[in-house]
Amino acid sequence: MCRRGTLFTYSVVHSGMDAFKDQTPYVVALVKEGQQIRLARVEGYTDRHELVVGMDVDFMAEDQEGHPIYRFSSCPE
Amino acid sequence: MRSVSVIGIGETRMGRFPERSLRDLIREAGETALNDAGIERSVIQALFMSNFNAQFLNGQGHIGPLAAEVLGLGTIPAIRVEGACASGSLAFRQALIAVASGLYDVVLVGGVEKMAHLSTESVTEGIASASDFAQEAALGATFPALFAMIANRYFHEYGNVREAMAICAVQNHENALLNPDAQLHKQITVEHVKNGLPIADPLTIYDCSLVSDGSAFVVLAATDVARTVCSKRLVEVVGSGHAGDTLTLASKGSLTTFAATVSAAKQAYAMAGVGPADIHFAEVHDCFTITQLINIEDLGFFSKGTGAFGVTDGKTAASGLIPINVSGGLKAKGHPIGATGLSQIFEVVTQLRGEGGARQLPRADVGLTHNIGGTAATCVVNIFRGR
Repeated sequence: MCRRGTLFTYSVVHSGMDAFKDQTPYVVALVKEGQQIRLARVEGYTDRHELVVGMDVDFMAEDQEGHPIYRFSSCPE
Repeated sequence: MRSVSVIGIGETRMGRFPERSLRDLIREAGETALNDAGIERSVIQALFMSNFNAQFLNGQGHIGPLAAEVLGLGTIPAIRVEGACASGSLAFRQALIAVASGLYDVVLVGGVEKMAHLSTESVTEGIASASDFAQEAALGATFPALFAMIANRYFHEYGNVREAMAICAVQNHENALLNPDAQLHKQITVEHVKNGLPIADPLTIYDCSLVSDGSAFVVLAATDVARTVCSKRLVEVVGSGHAGDTLTLASKGSLTTFAATVSAAKQAYAMAGVGPADIHFAEVHDCFTITQLINIEDLGFFSKGTGAFGVTDGKTAASGLIPINVSGGLKAKGHPIGATGLSQIFEVVTQLRGEGGARQLPRADVGLTHNIGGTAATCVVNIFRGR
């Protein structure tokens, strides 16, 4: 079973703070699950990904600080 | 509440000044404002100092007494006011309330920031403290990323306004060419903006405001006192509003209209007894190009979703119906965070007095400033009228 959300909005970040410098480009997004919208990271971005509002993302885990982490959806419909 | 007027203004040039100290910037802008007002410094009864983050950027807190010492203001009360990028306007509003209440007759408001000596990564981290650091910055959501998410949501709700965003930057750069205090005197094109260094999609480096050092000061007086000392055109503060919103982006009711702007503008218009159509020109908070588009809609100059048409039709150009950021804005004049709101007021007062030189607008009797902090978690709007 996949826990799935949709992109409410997103950005591919190319220039970050020192702590995130090595991770660029990375995706931050507001992800909607039910009525809840949370700020999240979406892992696995490559320049082959075409991001659009409303696309599905799959919940992976929460990081150590409790921030939600998703990945681009690969679950069966 | 008593009527309050601006009787003095002063600012430094905005820019990258590694050789200049906080003291040095404060001294130049503060003394210029006092000389402009033509008053003895002994007349000043209180100092309201705006600064966003000198503790992180320069290791310096307690900016109030620092500025009072530099300007020789003796033992008067000095207080620091902080509201992220809206700090300057927020300090101005606290000073306005203090004079309007009758507590003081003449006060000084100042703002300063020195940030350009640090690396882009360090400045980005310093600015990130204006968001929710634990929930947003710690996830890698920088300010450009937060406003990029606002832009992508705006595209989804109202259509792709990339072209109009780029024109905002081009126009602000063009306006700054005529402003001697501006950090950048550099003409750019829509293609430069679209093809610039990517920061956070869809924003490139040309969609982002500048990292600046600078300071700006304003002298405020009760209007009945101002009439006795002011030899220039009197500029009355006829309207002022201040509102807030949630700190985090994810908690906001809407990403494409800023509730704090709508509320602050409503208060300011009601107090001034005017509407958006009565405003001759405005300085609005263009921290990013998308913000300028959203602001001109939220302030009522254009209906929601149509700001881009206003921009592409030239209505916001210096020669247009409602000139926006004739100073060059945060984008090209500069964004020394704690000084920015006061630098906007400097421009509006300059225009209302007819002292704009090469950039003087032909119609300048009623001007508005709009200043936000964070992702519009704080907003202050002021309306000024030349008497």
